[in-house]
Parts: sequence; structure tokens; C-alpha cells
Amino acid sequence: MGEFKKNELAEKRGYSYRLTRRQFLVATSAAALAACGPAAVAPGATGSAAASPGKTLKIGQLLPFTGVYSELGNSMRRATELYLKLNDNKLANRPVQLIYEDDANVTATGIQKTQKFIDQDQVDVMMGVVPTPLAYGIRNAVHAAKMIFIDTNAGGNFLTRDVPNCTPACKSPYIFRASFSSYQISYPIGDYLSAKGTKDFFLAYANYGFGTESAADFTTGAKKNGGNITGNVAPPLGNADFAPFVTQIKNQPTKNVYSFFSGADAVGFIKTWNQLGLPAAGYKMYGAGFLTEQDVLKEVKDLANGAVTSLFWAVELDNPENKKFVADFQKQYPLLPDVFTVQQYDGMRALDEALKKLGGDTSDKDKFSKALEDVTFKSPRGDFAFDKSTHNPIQDIYLREVKTQNGQTVNTITDKIAKVTDPGK
Amino acid sequence: MSPELVFQQALNGLSFGALLFILAAGLSLVFGMMDVVNLAHGAFYMLGAYVALSVVQRTGSFWLAMVVAPLALAALGLVLEPLLLRRLRGRHLDQVLLTIGVSLVVVDQIGVVWGREVRSLAAPAGLDGSVALYGGDYPLYRLFVIGFGVALAALLSYVYSRTKVGMRIRAGVEDAEMLGALGVDTDRLFALTFAAGAALAGLAGVVAAPVFGLQPGMDLDALLYSLVVVVVGGLGTLGGAVAGSVLVGPADTFGKVVFQEFALAVIFAIVALVLLLKPTGLLGRIRIAR
Repeated sequence: MGEFKKNELAEKRGYSYRLTRRQFLVATSAAALAACGPAAVAPGATGSAAASPGKTLKIGQLLPFTGVYSELGNSMRRATELYLKLNDNKLANRPVQLIYEDDANVTATGIQKTQKFIDQDQVDVMMGVVPTPLAYGIRNAVHAAKMIFIDTNAGGNFLTRDVPNCTPACKSPYIFRASFSSYQISYPIGDYLSAKGTKDFFLAYANYGFGTESAADFTTGAKKNGGNITGNVAPPLGNADFAPFVTQIKNQPTKNVYSFFSGADAVGFIKTWNQLGLPAAGYKMYGAGFLTEQDVLKEVKDLANGAVTSLFWAVELDNPENKKFVADFQKQYPLLPDVFTVQQYDGMRALDEALKKLGGDTSDKDKFSKALEDVTFKSPRGDFAFDKSTHNPIQDIYLREVKTQNGQTVNTITDKIAKVTDPGK
Repeated sequence: MSPELVFQQALNGLSFGALLFILAAGLSLVFGMMDVVNLAHGAFYMLGAYVALSVVQRTGSFWLAMVVAPLALAALGLVLEPLLLRRLRGRHLDQVLLTIGVSLVVVDQIGVVWGREVRSLAAPAGLDGSVALYGGDYPLYRLFVIGFGVALAALLSYVYSRTKVGMRIRAGVEDAEMLGALGVDTDRLFALTFAAGAALAGLAGVVAAPVFGLQPGMDLDALLYSLVVVVVGGLGTLGGAVAGSVLVGPADTFGKVVFQEFALAVIFAIVALVLLLKPTGLLGRIRIAR
């Protein structure tokens, strides 16, 4: 979108970000809105700390509570509070104070809030961050401050990789990721499908950093086994009308379409796909898992039937940890957990495990980082471990097909690709 | 591009244009009459869509929603104009700022009442299928949207040029003060105009919902596109809204698929060009500074 301007002052301070005109407009109006209400600060368990000698652990949570990703922020907040509730509001021996800040999906705002965590709140650990540009934007500030940051969503590859000149971002000893890298949800399915004999693909992806990254990783995977990409359409992110793009797909001969869309875009894409009669014309939909997560399925229902997607989790996943997690979640909230909940929940779990090893002592950040590196546990998604060299999780990737059974549209697990690791460069 | 593809994309563009017309007609009407660019127009559009969602959930009738949502928005407009805008009459910039405030409040309340998840609305029974056209099946609902847009343009044109209300609106656009001096109750006329503009935004929200869905942020998209349409077509005239939407709809559709990398740039290039060559818009009138 449009032109970008570098912010010199920001660069001097050790972080760089780019602000589009649209972001600026949203930022100024959001700032006006934010000025109306006090910041959301939720004290954790100050009351129940009697049994513990530990000092209060401050966790800064940078999440979107306004703007297009606000529902993700809510999901991740639910996960945080569920984890603490199940653990007596303590991690290891330390009572927890949560400090929530709203980035409103504006990179500049998120960077300011991160600086607040560092300078003013002096948090022990920071979590959250939904959009990849924001994760990239705060990378240098977090690294310089030696603040442990557990990324619980943003999936941009570069955050956990070796990158020349660290542009736009690169791995850091203090940054961990409890979610996924876009490679992990895109490359394996390309590799898998082409190895099984599906060779020709057409691409349809939201035209922004994460969408193009996913399409590129899928392409690499497909080409590994002699696959071929015959063309692409790339609607802008947050595109309203999908008919022009689906019409293009319908007027080309490649029947297998790999797509990267999420949320509202995914709903629009799948509905238009059906309205224009692509299933009847023999077209088949593949995609990264966000295409068919619960937020999308509950709106499109059986229109998504037959779509095959890859992700590191599904609510239907059959293992004891996931069964317990889903049950615990539903006891607390009147809805199903989503993938964002799992990411945040695992982030909390990883932090908890590391603190237990440290006896709750977070003063030495390098020891803290080392303790996190060694964390392994059984997560709702399967075995969870950080890759020691990148701090990205090593995790199983599941192939899921959308089916409607007894009136419920769900992702059924069809296969598993074990222990997928990001290449790290 | 094969001829079949061009034909189908042209239909996509025209149905998009028809939606843009329904959206922009209200914005243009309010500006023409009151000299206020109503930046809450996108929020009104969003509210219309969510009201429709509730009506369809309760009663199952899309057609009822198409009546209820515009009426609800009209009622809101009838309250807001005397309550807020009238107090700032003559201070156009302050009024515009006020409408930004209104839009923030409305959008936030929508989030509180309906939640911030992605929602969608099915096309009404009978229009949810598709028909065989040149180049393959085409969704019936999008054809309905084109027809509805044309019918609404015809209706509005009739009201403007053949009825007493239309006469007063045209007179008000020309010179509201003089109209007041001639004994017309301009307070009432302004309130009604603002309500009609809000109702049109609400109607656009209902008609667009089965195509675009409902989600946070839809208000800003709608506002942006409707501003583009009225700037290109010319502010304050019905013909301008028609010309703007007929041009911008197809231009956006073809632009997105032909110049994929510059998807959003095409319509803004048109805006820039029109502003350079004809600053009042294609069919806009020259306004005398007051």
C-alpha cells in the first residue's frame, strides 16, 4: 500500500517502523478515542499472595482490543486469565500482575506501549503482539532492553531467523515465539501435496507481508517435488469485494487453489467462491489453517466443505491435553477456544515452566532466556519445545479437511507432519 | 482477457458500482443540502448492516430488514440533527469534526452490542442461487443489486425533479438562506434531509451485507469509497453520485485484476486526475463561497 516514510527519530532510538497514511489516520482517531478512557490495567492476584514469599511478577500484554483484530485480543486475554485461574493466579512462586495495553492494530501505538513496558512499568516479561509489522517494529527495542518477550501470535518468519543487517527483523536471545512461523503453516502443505502427486497450483493470497510470505513458502514446498505454480491473484488486505478475484480464478484452468486469507477476508473469499460456482466447476480449495478456523467456519458453515488446510492445532484434535484444555475453557467461557487462545495459553505455560526452573528468579535475563530454551511440555497441540537456535517452536503440523457432520462444520484431521522446524534463515 | 471474462468482470464492476451508488447518494444529498461532509456516513452504513443482521436473526426476513434498518437509521438521523448538528450550524468544519465523533461512538457501540467478530448475512431466499449467463453461472443476488441500484436512482431522480419535497431540496442546495426567507421551515427540512441521508446509508448496509459481510473496519472502507465516488462524480448532485459510482465501480474491479500490484492506486489515480482537470467533479456544480 502506498509509500512508506522512515521515521528518523525512531531509528535513532534503535527501532524502525514505517507508517502508512491509513495507519496514521487510524492512529490519530484511535488516540482521540483512547484519550477518553483510562488504560486497561487488571491487577492479578494481589489478594491471594499470602502463601508466597515471591515478589509480584509483572507481565505486560500488548494486544489489540480495538480495531479489526480486537477479537484476537479478547481470545488471548481469555487464555491468559484462564491459565492464571487454573494456577491460583501464580506462576511458579510469584503472584502475577497483568498490565494490558491496546495497540489498536497501529504499529506506532504498539511501539509506544512497548516503550512504556520497558521504561515505566518495568515489566518482567512481555507477551502478545498480533500483527507481524508490530512484532518487527518492537524487535530492536526489546532486544536492547534485554526484556524477555514471548510472541504469542505474529508469525512473520524473520522474527526468529538469522537476517543480514537484521532488516526487517531477526532473532534475539530475548525473543521467543509460542505461536508459529508462516513457513510452518505454508511450506509443509506444499511439500505434502506435491509429494502425493498434486503438482499444479494457482495462488490466491491477501497482498500484505504475511500473505506473500505464506505464498512464497508454499511455492518452495510445492516446487521441491516438481510442483508448478501457474498464476496468482492477490487482493489487498481487508478487501471488500472478492468477485473480481474469484472470477479470475474461474477463468483459468488450474483447479487446485492454495489460498492465504483469514478472518473477514476468508469469509468473503469462501462465500464468493461458492456464489460463483467454483466447487461445481471442479475447483478445490487449499490453504493455511486460518482460512478455516472457527471464526470463519461459524459464518460460512458447509460452504467450506472439502477445503484442506494445514495448522498446528484444531479444536477437534484428539489428545488428553487438548480434551482437558477445551473442557477447562468451556467451563469458564460459553464458547469454543480458538487457535489464538492455544498460542497464548502455551506462552503462559512456557513462562510458568521456565520460572519453576529458576525458582521464580527473573533478575538475570540471560539465565531466564536459557531456562525458556530448555522448556518442553505436552501442549494441546502436541509436543511443544523451542528450537534452541531460533526460539521458534518445533511442532507437528496437521492436515485438516473441512466436513459437516451432524450439522456441525469442523476441521477433521486427515494426516500429521511430525516435528516441523523453521529453517532459521 | 477473453470476452467472457470481460463480461463477467463488467457485471462484477457494475454491481459494485450499484452498491457504491446507494452508499454515496446519501452522503451527496446531505452535503448538497447542509454543506456538511458527514464522516459518520460509514458508521451509519455499518449500523444498518448490523440492524439487518438482528432483524434477519429474529424474523428470518431479509425484506423486512430492508425496511426496518433504513427506518431505524432515519430515526437516529432525526434525533442527531437537532440534538447536535443544528447547534453548530454555519460552522462547517466543526460540524465535520462532530460527525467524526458520532462515528466513533456509533462504531464502538456496535462493538459492544453485536460483538467484534466477523459476521455474515445470507442472500434472501429466491436470490441466493445463480443464473447461466455468458461465460458461466452468475449469482442472482448481484444482478438484483444492479437492478436495485438503477431503480433507486430512478426513484430519487423522480423525487428530486417531480415532487414538492424534491423542489425544496433543490432550492435548499441552491441557497438555503433564501429558502428560509421564503417561509420554508429549513430546520425541519435539514433534519429530514439528514435523516434521509442516514436512511440511505442504512439501506446500503443491508443491501451490501450479503456481498461484503459484516466486520469491524467496514465503516472506514465504506466511507473511503463513498468519498471517492462523490469527489469524482461531483458533490451535492444526484447525477454526480450516479456518474461517480458507474465510473469507480468498474474501474476498481478492473484495476484490481489488471494492475494487481497497484490495486488501490487505480481509483485514487482517477480521483487525482478528476481533481486536476475538473475540481468540482464530473457533474458537480461550482459552489459560491459563502
